Amino acid sequence: MANFRRFRPDDLNKLSKCNLDPLTETYELSFYLQYYAKWPSLFQVAEDENGNIIGYIMGKLESSPNVYKISEHYLPWHAHITAVTVAPEARRLGIGKLLTEQLEAAGDAGNAWFVDLFVRKTNHKAIKFYESMGYSIFRVVKEYYGDHSTDPTQNSEDAYDMRKPLKRDVKKEHIRDDGEKHEVDPTDVW
Amino acid sequence: MAYKNKYRYGPPALKNNVDMQLQSAFSDGNWSTVVRLAAKRFATFKDPYYEAIKVSAEAQQQGAAEKCAVLVHVDELVKSKKTPDIDTLDLYEWACQDFIGYEIDFAETFGPLRARWVKANASSPMAASCLQGCLEQWDLVSAQQIAATLDKTNANSADRRYMFWNITLTFLLSVSPQCTEASRKVYSLLTVRQLQKAADITENSDKLEKTDRGLLTEEEVCLYYRVLLSHGTKEEFLTRLRSPKLGAISQLRQGHKLLFCECLDALETWGEWDTIYELCRDALKLGLDGSTTPFFVCDLRIWKKALDEVQDVLKQFIELKDKATPMYKKNISLALLETTFGLPSTTINPNHENKALSPKVIQIGLFLDQYYERFAAFDDVKGYVAELGYEEAKTFLEDVLPKIPGENPTKAQQIIITALESRLRYTLTTCPQTLSPHPTVVEGTDQGKPFQCRVCTKFAKSPCEDCLKKLIVDAAEAYSQIATDKELLATIPKLDRDPRLDLALVMGNSLLKLSGLRPGLSNFAQSLWQDVQPDVLLQAVLLLDTQLKVTPNDNGLRLLLVQLYLLFGCASYAYQLWVPLEVKRTIQDALSPLFFDRISSISPGLFQGTKPLMEPLRAYYSQSLRDPSPVRIWDAFSSGSYTSILDMAEYDKKLRTSCTLVMTLVEERRATRYFGGKLDVDIDDHILAADIVEDTTLVHKTDYGSFPNLESSNGPPIQEFIRLGPGPSQYLDLLTYTPPKDYKPSKPADAAARDKAYTLESLTRINTSLTDFLHKPTTPTLLTTSETNYYTALSLLSALTLTAISLPKSEPSVPNIVSQTTQSLKTTLTTLRAGLMSPKSPVAVSTQQAISSLCDMPAFASVRDIAMAAKLSAGFVLSYHEKETARDKSGKSGLHKEVVAEMKALESAATKTLADAKAHVGVLKGVMNESGWLDRLLNVVLGEEDKEQDEVTEKVSQVVEGRGGAEEWAGKVVDSWREGVKGWGMVRFE
Ligand SMILES: CC(C)(COP(=O)(O)OP(=O)(O)OC[C@H]1O[C@@H](n2cnc3c(N)ncnc32)[C@H](O)[C@@H]1OP(=O)(O)O)[C@@H](O)C(=O)NCCC(=O)NCCS
Repeated sequence: MANFRRFRPDDLNKLSKCNLDPLTETYELSFYLQYYAKWPSLFQVAEDENGNIIGYIMGKLESSPNVYKISEHYLPWHAHITAVTVAPEARRLGIGKLLTEQLEAAGDAGNAWFVDLFVRKTNHKAIKFYESMGYSIFRVVKEYYGDHSTDPTQNSEDAYDMRKPLKRDVKKEHIRDDGEKHEVDPTDVW
Repeated sequence: MAYKNKYRYGPPALKNNVDMQLQSAFSDGNWSTVVRLAAKRFATFKDPYYEAIKVSAEAQQQGAAEKCAVLVHVDELVKSKKTPDIDTLDLYEWACQDFIGYEIDFAETFGPLRARWVKANASSPMAASCLQGCLEQWDLVSAQQIAATLDKTNANSADRRYMFWNITLTFLLSVSPQCTEASRKVYSLLTVRQLQKAADITENSDKLEKTDRGLLTEEEVCLYYRVLLSHGTKEEFLTRLRSPKLGAISQLRQGHKLLFCECLDALETWGEWDTIYELCRDALKLGLDGSTTPFFVCDLRIWKKALDEVQDVLKQFIELKDKATPMYKKNISLALLETTFGLPSTTINPNHENKALSPKVIQIGLFLDQYYERFAAFDDVKGYVAELGYEEAKTFLEDVLPKIPGENPTKAQQIIITALESRLRYTLTTCPQTLSPHPTVVEGTDQGKPFQCRVCTKFAKSPCEDCLKKLIVDAAEAYSQIATDKELLATIPKLDRDPRLDLALVMGNSLLKLSGLRPGLSNFAQSLWQDVQPDVLLQAVLLLDTQLKVTPNDNGLRLLLVQLYLLFGCASYAYQLWVPLEVKRTIQDALSPLFFDRISSISPGLFQGTKPLMEPLRAYYSQSLRDPSPVRIWDAFSSGSYTSILDMAEYDKKLRTSCTLVMTLVEERRATRYFGGKLDVDIDDHILAADIVEDTTLVHKTDYGSFPNLESSNGPPIQEFIRLGPGPSQYLDLLTYTPPKDYKPSKPADAAARDKAYTLESLTRINTSLTDFLHKPTTPTLLTTSETNYYTALSLLSALTLTAISLPKSEPSVPNIVSQTTQSLKTTLTTLRAGLMSPKSPVAVSTQQAISSLCDMPAFASVRDIAMAAKLSAGFVLSYHEKETARDKSGKSGLHKEVVAEMKALESAATKTLADAKAHVGVLKGVMNESGWLDRLLNVVLGEEDKEQDEVTEKVSQVVEGRGGAEEWAGKVVDSWREGVKGWGMVRFE
């Protein structure tokens, strides 16, 4: 039913089970290939017996650009989940979790402080999913998204920036309990 | 290394010592000032850099002579063999941007110049950006030279990339058309040797330092295996695979799974089953002894490979199961199933007792016991159920499946089982074990039923129609039961999957089969309706459409309907269903053919919408293929992702020859011609078609993965039943075999001016291509009948035109071939005309006739195209004749009298056909404007109102809530047909 392996470009021809789902964004080719070029081991897929992709995670390992070093919003070396998605038919089997754990392990191997990600405030399922794995809200990015996923009358939506500390963060310095109270502008996020 | 930005978004920075005045004129783009100032500085300082600034600024100006001066300077640089100045190079390369790929070839100018510069300045930080520059132009020869220089200079650097850039580029070059045949072998050998040496260093040293020239990272190791696979020996590959440090298992132990996966692929193609088995077993053990996360290696694939003795390991994993994620639990359960099915039946059931309740049946039961409520349950077990013997299947369906939800199942559980059973029964109708062969001739007459169905015992065709009917009736009853049960309706949203969807799919698929639809039938050999019952087919569509309103988010159902509506000629409605799928950006290449393939011949009117229909596709390709190099390739080089480089290069090659890309161009161009629009460029010159030449094999990657497929693997999947034509249309041929507008005769004015020799040459080329293409053994299987007719006609026309023009007037007699070809073309036209509806026909057009015409628009399109090609060709020959006679009053030029007569006859036949084709559209328009269409359609689908319905129709009616319920649907279908006809009304027929 499922095999886990590294992404390869041909998989882009087999994304329909994941990407026809409205919650999954489809990007330009250069976006996928940028990740595949720079962080190939952080781009993993789950495929079914017929070679259809039924889940994938795309991530990176980086810190904020040096020019922001003095900013309070500067992010030290960390892993970031850019996209994680599982085809509707394969949800709640732990595929999302396995993919995420794999990325966390890569983050630990790369000596990162934490893993972070952005999620729409109304994407309750995904928030539950991240919380179940130990992620918590670190800050709220106001009007991060240029549209609203559930309310067509609105033209923006807030994001939660969620985090999970990795092994390196022994003292848990990179998370906080009251993340929901920390609001920032999209311009503070790079 | 901001090379890209420098050139794409603006000019490079000038050298620091250039004065402010010139600097600011340059950065303001004030080119005439720059030219003036630079000339002055050059005169003063004699520094050739100023001349370069001047020439580059001139290239920004309007005049053609000034623009091109830079080319001369570049040429001089190349020829001089001196090391160029890097800033001058940057300037020139920027100034030549628009010429690269046209007037000048990067690989013969800037590439070698950059390589030359790097050779002299190997330790400069600019060297890497020269490499980047060559890669972005995909000049592999220069890039490899630069990489080799860099490697030599940085031989034991801690930056390992230099060494592996060199190796990767040598390899890329060795498999590239850019490499000469003479050097190919050398480069291949070189790559293998370098990597072998590196591998030996790794194997032989206790601990590798970053500065050692061994294989260290996962990417480096995998690059080695990739190269071995391509240029090395299988023996070496297999030996290395088991080696202590670079072997697949030892890499896996280090958490590197890529090599393991790639090795399995390779071993599979070689059929090295023993090694596969060994590896998989070792991998599983690795999971058990804690050397890696146990479930890191629990892919179903690994289990399947380690089948035989795996029971033991499996048992240990089952003990671990409670701790595992559900996914791996499921994989383990499936592995159990797989093991049962993989073993010879004597081992698992030595005494042959109770054959029906076999271990296979029990194992499926055990699996479903855990998973029957899950979304994927059907797909998980379908293949296994299809493998059961008849008795086993019977026992499974009758005794095992119903008991799965336990003693006191809830209503929801019951209905889930019913829906699952219904789908599995359908699948079994596609399996040979449910039918026994039976003599079809009974008492001297052929009954056309060569089987006896083992399920219902009746004589049958394949699939058994009685069983299909029963499936529909049963599913409809279950469906209606849900619809009337409030409690059930309330639980459905909480279920993994809506059972109504499954029941509807069974009914829809059964109706499609009952209608007589078969793979390949929709090729329009004749009208679709000669073999298919429209009422039954329409019932299927109505039913599935009704279900889409209930489960609008089911993409599989939606895709199925999109294809069905296209088959029906309801393109505008199909488009409405297509749009919400939001097929955009990257996924277009794999998914767009599901809607756009052959679309111009179904409904050219769609191209008349406010937004250009294929713009998103065109934009995608323009963006992704803009540069000569694979998108983001430098990122992979700078990150040291060597296997990514290889895969990205391969992907890029495929994308440039993608079937969908060509479809995009061709469909749009065909539609443009239909409306008499002008095409900007010949297809051969189209920038996106640059990599497509006559013998290119187009890459076809259509993704059918989301289609709901209830068929067993004994027969073709559902998409082959409903697709318009056999596979994606052969666009390449449309391209190279030049459609009418590109067909030179269509431009009489130009053609007359052209040299006769040129005309003859291009005609010969077209004719040879077409003949070759039509004679290829695979061609008939790739084209619809109308497409075959069209290409055959084009081939005849090109031959005819060729003979007509080349035959001297003085020739005493015209070769028979001329009259034979003309005759054959005229006959084709007459036959085609006969199939058209005429306003003069005394009998009113029946509903069936109208529907059949509406569905046959692709065939109609070919009638128009053939006639148009004939008219244009004849017109071309005749106008050539007139011009020649006018030009040369001696009467010696011009064409043979008989040829002229034949051409006139052909032209007239073609003109008549076109007029009739136009009238055909008129008739259709008239018919569609008649009133009462809703009823007419509903009468076809559900039977006339007061007449008794057969059982199946009655049940379908129930599900769709009768005529009342179906009315809205009928309205949409009729509107869409009308819209399609309206579009055809705008097409040019002269
Ligand atoms: C979010 C998503 C990736 C989860 O993938 P998944 O494979 O179904 O998740 P898992 O099975 O690994 O779930 C792990 C745990 O997360 C939690 N969880 C997952 N989905 C949940 C849901 N719908 N509701 C509540 N909790 C949920 C559960 O605790 C679950 O463990 P359990 O099943 O043992 O209770 C998937 O739902 C998805 O693709 N959604 C659409 C795309 C998306 O929103 N991506 C996130 C963008 S930031």
